[in-house]
Amino acid sequence: MAPTAADKEHALALWLRDRGRVAIGFSGGVDSAYLAVFARRTLGAENVLAIIGRSASYPAEQWATARRVARSFDVGVVELDTDELNDPRYAANPSNRCYFCKSELWSKLVPHAHSLGYATVVDGTNADDLGDYRPGAQAAREHSVRSPLAELGFTKDEIRQGSRAIGIPTWSQPSSPCLSSRIPYGTSVTPLRLGQVEQAERGLRALGIANDLRVRYHDDLARVELSPGELAEWLAPERFAALCDAVRNAGFARVALDLRGFRSGSLNVLHGVTAA
Amino acid sequence: MSIRRETPGGVTALEKALAERGLPFKVETRAGLAVLIAGEATVARMGDAELRRAALALAREHGFTHVAIELRSEPDVAPRANAPLPRD
Repeated sequence: MAPTAADKEHALALWLRDRGRVAIGFSGGVDSAYLAVFARRTLGAENVLAIIGRSASYPAEQWATARRVARSFDVGVVELDTDELNDPRYAANPSNRCYFCKSELWSKLVPHAHSLGYATVVDGTNADDLGDYRPGAQAAREHSVRSPLAELGFTKDEIRQGSRAIGIPTWSQPSSPCLSSRIPYGTSVTPLRLGQVEQAERGLRALGIANDLRVRYHDDLARVELSPGELAEWLAPERFAALCDAVRNAGFARVALDLRGFRSGSLNVLHGVTAA
Repeated sequence: MSIRRETPGGVTALEKALAERGLPFKVETRAGLAVLIAGEATVARMGDAELRRAALALAREHGFTHVAIELRSEPDVAPRANAPLPRD
């Protein structure tokens, strides 16, 4: 019989106790927030450290969420600056861009964790992630970073439900990968472009768009992906003017609404990295 | 990124197929993305889920993985048979 969510949580507690102390690569997203809070409750505050890697591709809004969650649940936090944009292999934006980003992240985070007495470093990768194209996972393996949620079979839905049960506000938060994921492969990643995407998404959130949202960068044109259920509302002329203003204020000359709506890994499909 | 207006069997054929479905869009492409361009009234019609599905299906048939509709406030340009001649 397949293990239940409760079985997996029991296994996760045992896994963490076996390690004794863990440092977590912490973004403030659904998965790493759950893992950090669960570890804190299982091992105690003195045995858990959340480490945030800050860079231009990390949305400021998510950074704020990460700090808020850590403060609310008494999880110790360390912040390190990372600089993947300074690596030309990353900035050129190849399809394995994430590998260079995670290499930069883990090359700074893991030694820092070890220096503070945390022999085990973990991330929030879950079992659903294993089916996606994720070149960053290779960098994690190369730095001996473990992914207990994936190893124990936690699905995203189980992580959301587990988060809800223990009151973590991120339980219903949309997934939020780094800002570079909005820029098509082969188009270089620059602070200016990341800033445009971030400002446009912030402007759209300010209009009340709370569900899944991506602003995809296509040079002068921004392609906005919304939850399919919200498309009709934003195609009405009295609404789309506000949407256009929010995006144009970020420096895009043209705005287009994706007719299929939000797709995780949309640009992977566009460039044939994964199937449509 | 290259922007194409003419791709035999791609853009022109998609524009024709959309027009036959009553969707008079110009089409611009960027890799596998088709950007549909029309005036405000046609954009507003795409609030209809059935029309969106039709446009997506046609674009897929013509080899596009992504379809987006440009949001423009300009009116649709429709030919008018009896339009008066402009005067100075």
